[in-house]
Amino acid sequence: MRKRPGIGAIHKQRVEQERFRGKATELQDNVFEQMTNQMEKFRTNLETFASKHRNEIKKNPAFRKQFQEMCSSIGVDPLASSKGFWSELLGVGDFYYEIAVQVIEVCMATSQRNGGLITLGELRHKLIKARGKAQHHQNISNDDIIRAIKKLKVLGSGFSIISLKDTQDSSDVLIRSIPGELNADHTEVLKIAEAQAFTSIETMKCKLKWDDVRCQQIINELIRDGVAWVDEQSTAKTYWFPSFFKPLINEG
Amino acid sequence: MEFSWPWEYDFPPFFTLQPNLDTQKKQLEAWRKLVIDYCHHNKIFVLDVQESIPLFQNKTIDRQLSSEGIKRVLEILQENNQIEWCDKSKKQCFVYWKTPQEWGNLIYCYIIDKGMTNTVCTFYELTEGDDVKNEEFAGLDKSMLLKALETLEASKKAEVIMFGGSEGVKFF
Repeated sequence: MRKRPGIGAIHKQRVEQERFRGKATELQDNVFEQMTNQMEKFRTNLETFASKHRNEIKKNPAFRKQFQEMCSSIGVDPLASSKGFWSELLGVGDFYYEIAVQVIEVCMATSQRNGGLITLGELRHKLIKARGKAQHHQNISNDDIIRAIKKLKVLGSGFSIISLKDTQDSSDVLIRSIPGELNADHTEVLKIAEAQAFTSIETMKCKLKWDDVRCQQIINELIRDGVAWVDEQSTAKTYWFPSFFKPLINEG
Repeated sequence: MEFSWPWEYDFPPFFTLQPNLDTQKKQLEAWRKLVIDYCHHNKIFVLDVQESIPLFQNKTIDRQLSSEGIKRVLEILQENNQIEWCDKSKKQCFVYWKTPQEWGNLIYCYIIDKGMTNTVCTFYELTEGDDVKNEEFAGLDKSMLLKALETLEASKKAEVIMFGGSEGVKFF
């Protein structure tokens, strides 16, 4: 007759289990350590790469964009680095932080006129003008500006980015600098108004297939937000958007 | 030099009194500035409301501010002490792109500069004479000149007098 497992056996089993558990933990620790080392290696390589191609990154917006994309694909975000990655790399104050501050300045200066809604094209045009006078002048791209604004969004500053189309064509992206609700319906109206800087209820009905009530409601909301103005001297009432009005955009 | 119109002047809705009160505020402020800048540029000292209509319309875009709109603009100007009605009929007003005080000071500085204190000048000399051709107050409207001199009188810097049938002023 076999002996039934005694206390000794149970004890032994428990010790074995502990050892396995310990091994698992040890293994986990090991893997984790390896991962950390790998990440460090990646980071170092990235930084080496960045230093080597520093000038290219500094001068060439397209190259800079590719570099950013490469970083995100391996889960490294130089923008989030607290060591001032970009300031070390580019040798000037935090590159994107600087752009973000200038974006805020331009938006504040123009929001009186356009209701806090500005096209990316106009924003970039004014930014370049302002930066041209500064000592360290790098060529900034639409992509740079969008990244800087996204940084602002993270801080909850009330900035939002509105795409009128699926492209990153500068005239098709709007930056909203006043916190407010611009929903999909509002965006639809902006899309059809963009080309001529104005629209009408008839045009809205025709292009968007909405009824009178919906058209009027949406346009009233845009008027209330200070984004649209009313012209009562056109044959049918028209609604105009300073944000798209060329003489204003091209001014100063 | 050609007057440089602000972007709003080519913006059709600028000529419609805006329903959104915040936007209307911005609109009226832009009109206020336009009136002052326009009068300054063209050295207009007195504005006749009826005749000022061209200022409140843009033929190129076929738009015109309504009389209600013009009234609101003039109200804003008055609130800012930048216009003063000539009389109760509110048909004409002085436009203070420079206040009478500022005019007075300008004239007085000129007088000091030329060492002309304790002499008498006629109004004509002060505004139309060859010597003042390049001064800002050249061509100053007579009523405006009087207002300016009144401010100087108040600070004992001048005295308006009649002599030989013309009006003149002595500076101290």
